[in-house]
Amino acid sequence: MIRFSAVAKRYPGGLEALRGVSFEVAEGEMVAVTGHSGAGKSTLLKLAAGIERASAGTVVVQGQNVGALGESALAILRRRIGFVFQEHKLLFDRNAFENVALPLRICGFPAQEAARRVHAALDKVGLLGREKALPVALSGGEQQRLCIARAIVNRPMMLVADEPTGNLDSDYARAIVDLFASFHQVGVTVLLATHDEASLARLGCRRVALAAGALAAGEPA
Amino acid sequence: MRRALRLHLHALSDALRRIAAQPLASLFSIVVLGAAIALPVLAAVMLESAIATAAGFDMEPHVSVYLTLDATPDDAKRVEQALRGQPDVAAVSFVPRAQALAELQSRTHLAELLAALDRNPLPDAFTVRMRTPDAAELDRARSAWSRLPKVDQVVADFEWSRRLTQWADLGERVLLAIAALLSAAVAFIVAHLIRLQVLTRREEIEVSQLIGATSADVRRPFLYHGALQGLFAGAVALALAAAVAAWAAHELSVLTPDYAAELKVVFLGPMERVALVGAALLLGLAGAWAGVSRQLRRFAADR
Repeated sequence: MIRFSAVAKRYPGGLEALRGVSFEVAEGEMVAVTGHSGAGKSTLLKLAAGIERASAGTVVVQGQNVGALGESALAILRRRIGFVFQEHKLLFDRNAFENVALPLRICGFPAQEAARRVHAALDKVGLLGREKALPVALSGGEQQRLCIARAIVNRPMMLVADEPTGNLDSDYARAIVDLFASFHQVGVTVLLATHDEASLARLGCRRVALAAGALAAGEPA
Repeated sequence: MRRALRLHLHALSDALRRIAAQPLASLFSIVVLGAAIALPVLAAVMLESAIATAAGFDMEPHVSVYLTLDATPDDAKRVEQALRGQPDVAAVSFVPRAQALAELQSRTHLAELLAALDRNPLPDAFTVRMRTPDAAELDRARSAWSRLPKVDQVVADFEWSRRLTQWADLGERVLLAIAALLSAAVAFIVAHLIRLQVLTRREEIEVSQLIGATSADVRRPFLYHGALQGLFAGAVALALAAAVAAWAAHELSVLTPDYAAELKVVFLGPMERVALVGAALLLGLAGAWAGVSRQLRRFAADR
């Protein structure tokens, strides 16, 4: 599903976020990326989701070499990947329903079918009663769940989540972790970044540890 | 196919919502754009009207051939035959000197002065209507005919029609330049308005791109917005120009009842109206394309 081969990422200004990273995520697998903040977790997830391109090496996602795709093809690849952003990236002038409907609008879904899917996604994350609420009216945990609803509304085969339990107290965090576990159980490939030990223990999945932009020693690729 | 249609319908309804969301600002910009488009349209209407009015006058090119005073009727016959032999000549009419004098006496106040003369100072003359308005052709005929025996003078009376044509040509060129300038201004204003729209929707654009919107997806609603602004501005321009033209026609008929039949206001025909509104739509589209492209490049550079 995801294959990194000797991937490096340098940002303008010389910051080397990743170097020589090679690993694979099989279809239907759940993998946690761990490491301190600044270790390159977010960069790795953005490369895996086709949001950014590698400076060196190859990233293959869903059988497509990201480096060889044009801008439009890459955008269309992103539609098949649900991404849960660390900073949520919700639109604060739209209510919960409209936020979740955004990916379907981009794809040109018929309105009725879209509404059905939005309701299903909101139901899945426990926000069905809040569809008219603006994001500011939602708590941090609810905003996180709204972001997850937006990521799954397109029914992607692959979910990528950046610190989905960050800044949440342990009850909320546990609920979010269980949500990802349930997606994994129905066959969705899940790649998530976290440094929260409690969440990692609860997930109980394979880990890829990053340190200073490289895979930590002794890690099975 | 239906998906693509839905995407376009979405973009169209999105653009209409944006326009309706700020009714006063939208109305103001559409009226400003409409006025800018109406100006060259009115100038064109004025020019067309002037040309049409002038066309009502006798503009057929004709040449007057004056004989010497000692020319006999036989001389006149020979000259007439020579003139009729030319292929460019449409008609030849003979004006005997006595008739010319009588006309002069009846049309002017020179009767007493003319009566005091002991003989008719006017020569026999031919008025020749020509088939061609071409100045060079007329000039050639003039110089050829002035060499005929007993021909004193040949006057080609085409100067003013040529001048009029030249003025009309000049007017059209100036009009084109004004239209080009104002079209550029309209596209520029739309580009700026759309760029502001793009700026206020920056978050939405960035999030959309992150979750799979292509550049075309991002551009689409803004292109519709610009095209709609152009369309509405074109309609406003048409209405403004029609109102001013109707007012001008009314004023003309009041001021100059005697000439009302000759002074007319020629407004755009149906095809020209459609073309005007279509051109305004395209200007809006072009402006929107420039505005959204420029702002998206800036966003990309910021990242």
